[in-house]
Amino acid sequence: MDRLSLYLDPQIRDWVLFPITLVMILVGILRHYVVILLQSPPKKLSRAATREQRALTRSQILRATSSNSPIPPSFYKAISQHLSEAYKAGTYLKDGPPKADAPSSAPNPLSDPAAMDGMMAGMKTQMVMMVPQMVIMGWINFFFQGFVLIKLPFPLTLGFKSMLQRGIDTPDMDVRWVSSLSWYFLNFFGLNGLYRLILGGDNSADSSRDMTTSPFAAMGNAQPGQPQDFNKLFKAERDNLEFAEGLHSWVGENMDTKILRKYGKLAAL
Amino acid sequence: MSLQSTLERLATYRANNMRASQDIFRNGLLVLQKSSFKQLGDDGNHCGVPAGWTSLEQFALASIDVGRLDIADQCLQLIADKFPNSPRVDCLIGIRMEATEPPETALKYYADILEADSANVAIWKRRISVLRRTGKIEKAVNELVQLLDTFYTDVEGWLELADIYALCNQYDHSFQALSHVLLLMPQNPFYVLQAAETAYTSEDFSLAIKMFLTVVDMTDADDSEQLLQDSTPLGITVRAWFGVKLCTRRIAQNVNLRSLSNTSAPKNSELLDELATERLRVAYSSLGQKGEIAKGRQEVFAWVATPLA
Repeated sequence: MDRLSLYLDPQIRDWVLFPITLVMILVGILRHYVVILLQSPPKKLSRAATREQRALTRSQILRATSSNSPIPPSFYKAISQHLSEAYKAGTYLKDGPPKADAPSSAPNPLSDPAAMDGMMAGMKTQMVMMVPQMVIMGWINFFFQGFVLIKLPFPLTLGFKSMLQRGIDTPDMDVRWVSSLSWYFLNFFGLNGLYRLILGGDNSADSSRDMTTSPFAAMGNAQPGQPQDFNKLFKAERDNLEFAEGLHSWVGENMDTKILRKYGKLAAL
Repeated sequence: MSLQSTLERLATYRANNMRASQDIFRNGLLVLQKSSFKQLGDDGNHCGVPAGWTSLEQFALASIDVGRLDIADQCLQLIADKFPNSPRVDCLIGIRMEATEPPETALKYYADILEADSANVAIWKRRISVLRRTGKIEKAVNELVQLLDTFYTDVEGWLELADIYALCNQYDHSFQALSHVLLLMPQNPFYVLQAAETAYTSEDFSLAIKMFLTVVDMTDADDSEQLLQDSTPLGITVRAWFGVKLCTRRIAQNVNLRSLSNTSAPKNSELLDELATERLRVAYSSLGQKGEIAKGRQEVFAWVATPLA
């Protein structure tokens, strides 16, 4: 059985093996530039939206030092209460304070045009990835189905059969022969290193990486541009503020006795 | 000096945010003679923006500062050609405009940009600075407060606001602005000192003395091996001790202290006075870094020796 060897026409190497590889590399590079063209610049936030987004950091900064605060109690209380009032009244909200009778529902991402744009951008890159790969795979399947392209120079166990001989159902053939469809997949997953060499580190030519993320996964919670219900966040932050206010103590409160002790003017405790 | 070391010098100025315009201008001219910034631009990549272009921006600002507008215009032309539509270039063009055009033109230019992109901090700040320079203090304060309401974490802005208030004798407001600075940068003793001095000026002595003592606590040499009593106060600590001394005097003079912030008066005011006197004497007796005793020693000794009240 081992001695039975196939003879591969060199024409297969010249007209099938090399073209498949070349086409995949070129499509990857093309894809990289198309993605760059498709990228829209990040949307600029309006003043009000920025203010809304950053309002929470104010109380976070205030709370961060509250147990060892650099500012005296009266000033701390003034800031803390001002923030608390503002959160309650919704002063920081982008669209102004909410109306009393308005339904308090989380904003629908499909109705917000800004969120839609973010989603469309993700879909566009996904399409640029999917379409050429589907075309190449169809091309290989149509013209070169069942072709054996190359013989690996080392022996492999039977477990690799499904990986290397996809599209050929011959149980007895040596695992070292690689079919056309398998050659496509090997290229598909293995060309990333080459792209990195040609296009630099953060290229978008590699399509195998995108396979792992579905276009709809981005719609979940992790998306940065995802609309949040700031009103709810503000309400929650009020409790934190109240808690931090209870913890507040000014660094300078007993600084007079502390310094006197430090310099030995008062007996240490 | 080699090209490399000149560029490194420029980079140091950039990193430390220093306004050494004369020196930057001289060095920049040297670089221009040896090669063009444009060639430099594309090698020496640094954080995405090639170092040559940042140097060129710095050089352009310096030449505006020293009044060589012809050279600044050349630089701006190069930068604008390389980066069209960049907000940073917009800001540079605005600064160039401020140098020669009447302030109204610059204000108009900034207003147009802000209309398109209302959250452009750099432009907004330039606009406020022009407003302040042309004497429209009230408008400047309004804009600045709006800016800080949006970008709370801007320490520079809060300091500017405190400065404007202090110039208008609004020391309580100035202290409020400084308290935000303190919240944002609690580890910087210079800001605490500024707040302490502001509190002193607004005659809130109990508050001021505690802030001065905080500065002392932050800056004295308590992390060294030496005993604190033997150490010599240096730099900012000396100034803080002067503040403590001033405060104890004023506290001894007025019996009923007014404190807007409801800060309790310090206990052991006499002891503090004694300690401050002692520290100041030490500071002015020891040999400084130059190996000689500080000037004005007699005056300081005479001043600290004058009795309370």
